[in-house]
Amino acid sequence: MMCRDFLLRQWPAALLVAIAAICGGRWVSSEEKPAAATSPDVTVTEIDKEFRDFVQPLFKQYCIRCHNADQMKSGIRVDLLTGIPEDKHLFLWKDILKQISDGAMPPEDEPQFDENHKKRLSGWIQRAMNSAMARNTQRNGTIRRLTVSQYRNTLRDLLGLEEDLTEVLPPDAISKDGFANNGQSMVLSPLQVESYFDIAQKSLDLCIVDENKPPTIQTFRMDLGQGINPTPCPDKLILGANNHLLNNADFQVTEPQPSKPFPFTPFHMRTKYEFIEGYAGNDTVRGWRKYDSIYHSVFACMRGNLGYPKGEAFQVVPTGLLLRPAIPSSEIFGQQSTYGPMANFKISLRELPDTGNFRVTVKGARYDDVLLLNPGTTAEKSEMDCPTVPNLAQTPSSTVQILDAGIYAVDLYREPGAGRNVEIQLGERHTSGQLPEFKKPADAKPDEVPERGYAFMLVRLAAGPTPVTIRSGDNTGLRRAVFRKIAENSDSGKQFLAFESRTPSIGVYLGLRRDCGSTLTRVGEPQAVKGSELRDYVFSGPINDFPSPDVELDNVNYLAGIREIGVRSEYTDGRDMPRLLLRSIEFEGPYYSEWPPATHRRIFIDSPNKNDSALYASEILRSFATRAFRRPVTDEEHEAIYAVWKRSTAEKLSFQQSVKDALLVILTSPQFLFVIENSSTPEPEDLDDFELASKLSYFLWNSSPDSTLLDLARKQQLHATLDDQMERMIRDPRFEQFMREFGSQWLSLDKFDVVSFDSRRFPRLTRDAKLHLRQEPIRFLTYLIQQNLSLRNIIHSDFIVADEVVATYYNLGDRTESGFKFVPIRHENEHLGGILAQAGILAGLSDGREPNPIKRGAWVARKFVAEPPDDPPPNVPRLKEDDGSNLSLREKLERHRNQEGCVKCHTGIDPWGLPFEQYDAGGLFKSDRKIDAPSKLPDGTEVRDLNNLKRYLAEQRIDQVTFSFLKHLSCYALGRSLTYNELVFLQKECIKLRSSELRMQDLIRFVIKSDMFLKK
Amino acid sequence: MKLDRRSVLKGLAGVTLSLPLLEAMGEEVAGKTPRRFCALYTANGMSLPNPKHGVGEWSWFPQKEGREFEFGKSTQPLQPFRQHVSFLGGLQHPNGIKADPHMCSDMWLTGAPLHDPKPGAFNSVALDQVVAQHTKKYCRQPSLVLSIDAGVGFLSRTGTISYNIEGKPVPAENNPRRVFDRMFRGDRASLATQREQLQKRVKLVDAVQESAKSLNRRLGKSDNERIDQYLTSLNEIESRLVASEKWIDIPIKSQDYSHLNLDATTEGEPAEYYRNMFDLISLVFDADITRSVAFMLNREDGMGISDTFPVKLGLNRTHHNLSHAEDKDGQLAFAKYDLFLSEQIAYFLNRLNQYQDLGSSVLDNTIVLFGSGASTTHNPTNLPTLVAGGSNMGLKHGTYWRKDRTPMSNVYLSILRSMGIEEASFGDSTGTVSDSIFTKV
Repeated sequence: MMCRDFLLRQWPAALLVAIAAICGGRWVSSEEKPAAATSPDVTVTEIDKEFRDFVQPLFKQYCIRCHNADQMKSGIRVDLLTGIPEDKHLFLWKDILKQISDGAMPPEDEPQFDENHKKRLSGWIQRAMNSAMARNTQRNGTIRRLTVSQYRNTLRDLLGLEEDLTEVLPPDAISKDGFANNGQSMVLSPLQVESYFDIAQKSLDLCIVDENKPPTIQTFRMDLGQGINPTPCPDKLILGANNHLLNNADFQVTEPQPSKPFPFTPFHMRTKYEFIEGYAGNDTVRGWRKYDSIYHSVFACMRGNLGYPKGEAFQVVPTGLLLRPAIPSSEIFGQQSTYGPMANFKISLRELPDTGNFRVTVKGARYDDVLLLNPGTTAEKSEMDCPTVPNLAQTPSSTVQILDAGIYAVDLYREPGAGRNVEIQLGERHTSGQLPEFKKPADAKPDEVPERGYAFMLVRLAAGPTPVTIRSGDNTGLRRAVFRKIAENSDSGKQFLAFESRTPSIGVYLGLRRDCGSTLTRVGEPQAVKGSELRDYVFSGPINDFPSPDVELDNVNYLAGIREIGVRSEYTDGRDMPRLLLRSIEFEGPYYSEWPPATHRRIFIDSPNKNDSALYASEILRSFATRAFRRPVTDEEHEAIYAVWKRSTAEKLSFQQSVKDALLVILTSPQFLFVIENSSTPEPEDLDDFELASKLSYFLWNSSPDSTLLDLARKQQLHATLDDQMERMIRDPRFEQFMREFGSQWLSLDKFDVVSFDSRRFPRLTRDAKLHLRQEPIRFLTYLIQQNLSLRNIIHSDFIVADEVVATYYNLGDRTESGFKFVPIRHENEHLGGILAQAGILAGLSDGREPNPIKRGAWVARKFVAEPPDDPPPNVPRLKEDDGSNLSLREKLERHRNQEGCVKCHTGIDPWGLPFEQYDAGGLFKSDRKIDAPSKLPDGTEVRDLNNLKRYLAEQRIDQVTFSFLKHLSCYALGRSLTYNELVFLQKECIKLRSSELRMQDLIRFVIKSDMFLKK
Repeated sequence: MKLDRRSVLKGLAGVTLSLPLLEAMGEEVAGKTPRRFCALYTANGMSLPNPKHGVGEWSWFPQKEGREFEFGKSTQPLQPFRQHVSFLGGLQHPNGIKADPHMCSDMWLTGAPLHDPKPGAFNSVALDQVVAQHTKKYCRQPSLVLSIDAGVGFLSRTGTISYNIEGKPVPAENNPRRVFDRMFRGDRASLATQREQLQKRVKLVDAVQESAKSLNRRLGKSDNERIDQYLTSLNEIESRLVASEKWIDIPIKSQDYSHLNLDATTEGEPAEYYRNMFDLISLVFDADITRSVAFMLNREDGMGISDTFPVKLGLNRTHHNLSHAEDKDGQLAFAKYDLFLSEQIAYFLNRLNQYQDLGSSVLDNTIVLFGSGASTTHNPTNLPTLVAGGSNMGLKHGTYWRKDRTPMSNVYLSILRSMGIEEASFGDSTGTVSDSIFTKV
């Protein structure tokens, strides 16, 4: 239980602490509040005079020897400080004040100030700071380069081009606050500017086409089904080692032509090849061989078939290919399956287009499936009149009469024998599964043939005659099958009802074949299959965003350069799932719905002046530049751009080429690459409406403003409609782009990405599961914001936001049937809820084997309560993981932080981390981690475990948690670190906010409507 | 002296420009102390005979560590270069031990996590291409990528050890004549296209500068600095473009090509083929055509023509087969193939040593890295590694240095730093190996 007495005893202290403020890691106690402390008679001149008369000489005598331009001990210089403190020096002044009052400076072995000097100096610093904070911060507009992700999104929104060309850009630097969009920490190298040129060139080449030249389009379809191909390839097909190709008769490849409202040239895949090696697998066989068949160019391939835990990974039936969910595997060589997840199908082929968007259409359905029971489940006693197929050994096929429609268990009775595979056909339904080995009991008489019954599967049957075929290798051991009716409200009945209500999801992948598996990237999100009717499921993407083998044409190896289109039934957590039926897979690419494509028409806009090339060019360029610069272009700018067109035209370049030259300039101009807020005076000014539109959209969408925002800006109505626009933007799908950036960076989720977990200790933390857990904190925050719930939920919530993978990780899988959708789930578990107990956070703060209380502590201090610890002093040795001692990591850390010199910083870090000790390196609460987690927080409060800490934060420190959230949100919104004044402002506001509901949208609105955001 | 763009554009009429211009390209070019890098790769590992066969002297790694090391029988030909070479032992790619061992060639020069590739790419940049990024501004061509088989092979059986910034394979060249033509005989048409593209880019940079001028700049000091940074970058790009364009007009150093046999092919005598390829690399370095070369001497797992070389040399089995040999005869034959390779490397080092930069040999200004992605076949630990040359870059040779489980990328980072390329890291490097032969990292 919570320490009630601590609440009573420590309340006043805690309150004080709550009122006290933090700035950049240092306490600002309440009596230093500027407004209250500034006495009106102290003028700026007096402060400055005292600096020159008293402070400066004192510094010269005691400080400057170490803290000057040459020495800069601890990176500190005092020789630059001025009598009227500059804003940027306020943090330093604060630090000096603390060092002096703590007696830490001057150092012990140096001459000391006398007490009077010390008092007078402290007093001066406080007065000077107060006066500095009371004046208006000078503002001079800002300029920020687009971050890589902003640039990527902006380019996509501007051009309508999906392909990501920004891979070549170096990643953005991360600021001290943890954000990539901080203007101050952004650099720009010539190499990067060169990349901008290359990207601009490439993207225009992709967008603009030759209108009069019909495009070339590749289309092909693979149909799947038992014996579907009347003229199968006569050759034995081999595709490398351990290849599992479907039978030649069970698939067919055709090249049907799509109907398009414009002329095009169909692309026919090459069938004639000559190879010198690789055609017999990987064996070293050399010698030229010629081929001429589509079936040496397109293959139907299954991987990960062996050892599927229940039933078979795949089955070819007359209506198509049945797939069970693809179980992910760790793809480390020598561990589990190297060949990718269990049960994954792919079309392996030699040629795909090298440009444009593609479309994969999967015709599929949920199979009207039976539920296989766990192998070896004993049959229950059945009534005498149950429908029965006797004598299976002699007559595997017969017809049973089903009197009542409903759920039936099918019990199979067998004689002793080895484990064996059983294939069953019920009407049109096919399935197969395993019967376990049945040993003849030792006490059985020699002439007795004992039998045993197994409940094999559950199935829903209609009334009437049902044809049945049951085979099992050689049929001798199987005796009979009994159809036993199951009540819907029985356990089995409920199990079946849940099973038949589930829908598999189709995942489509594109990539390349490797001998040891595949490198595949998923195309969009998995799509839930809607029912048992065949339907088309369409997946599309830019082909160059997917891995391609990049081999030269005419590579002489049969196995070289094979592309792959993977199709899977996606796996969540192993719950029983009806199989996915694949009937056909069709590919089309490049995919165009019109010609010239939209990317082209967006640039070459409709105009009545198309025949007047000078006028039309001017229109095109003005329209494009206005969208690219996110505001109307000035005449001067237009002149500069138009001049490029004129010059290229004068050089006899075509109209299109001349326009392209000018567009290139637009796409590489600072007006496009930077977000600029202009300023006329040092006084704070309002953002103009266009600047506001950009600021808002790069904040809440991480991309450029849309036409609605720009229209409002044009009408100068954006300031007035800020609330509506904010709400609209939060509802928009682009809001996810903000959440991904802000969420990951605020919470440092990249730490989770880089930990490599000991797969023996944490077998459930597969690469796949990690991707889902990584999303949890972001989905959780998004849910809080979109539902406008209270910020308090980040400390504790009675729900988690999870898909089936995440829910199962927390052992809550039975509470949801949401598939890959993240939905709120009530957890009813005191060790879950909020952000602090999320695995993606806690596991990221471990070394992959043991949790690390220091990392967790530093994270809480920095991210959650915004009391960042100082950076470690230089030359601190890394904690040796293998130092020969038998101490646990925890004990080693303990030893480390108790060392002199370490203890001071660690008292501000470790106490925040120790309460998490019962959560293991995988981020899960373990009741068997018999570790006490008591901890004395920096303010002296004692907490015993995470629940204690959570309650303390919720009840005592909610303003500090609010402050941390607002501080990080503001940093991100502004794209810069906050000034001293702004931090003090936020702290004051957070104390006011503590009695409010702290609804998420109110907090975002607070930032947007603050002067920090609206002034420049 | 700084190049003035206008004056250069004026001088583009096609007149050959003379030496002072070379000086104008900067100290790095005119000073004749180029810093070069050459990676040489052999697949399938080296022979490290099983002790039970009692032929330890045929092990590729020397028997003794440190400065007292002795060459084994298979590395004997390198003996004359004792003061120019070092053996490095205990190296591995941390990602190598997780991946399918057939991919060790793919990742040798990159260290990429091929068992868990980044979405959208499957490899990462190779060391030679990082070097090229930094040295291309001083020479005519960024890099030269060679392999026993032309092209790129395919993933997990790569035919090139070079991967570009995007992690895509750089196609390799294997025909001596084509290499020669590309390096020394740029044809008129392609030069004209090259010039046209460069000029176009220069104009574009010009236009962007104009457009930036029209930008309304009412900004504070630090913000203006940011725009200035952008404009400075533009200027730098422009002068680089202009410099590249100049190269077209600067005549190539005159050299003696009479020893070349450009008709040598991979189908002929292996030694003849390798000798010509190494002659070409040496000429390319001497003429400062490029400062980054990667050469894949043979291919993993029985791919390509090189698998048959040991048979041609009378060693009875193919290269891949030899690498799997457990028997004494097989392991000895494998070591004799190592001996053959050592002879080729020694020939190359000798060539480099004969050419002179200003005041020192080309070898002293070239770091040569020779090694394999596996120690014995499919064993991606203790990668056999030999480093030669580069004493002008602080490399101190004549030793067998060994430290188990040292990340290979740390050696790569050390090479970069030795060359004065101040990258913060390379691939999965965790630091440099300053305690080894690299004294300036």
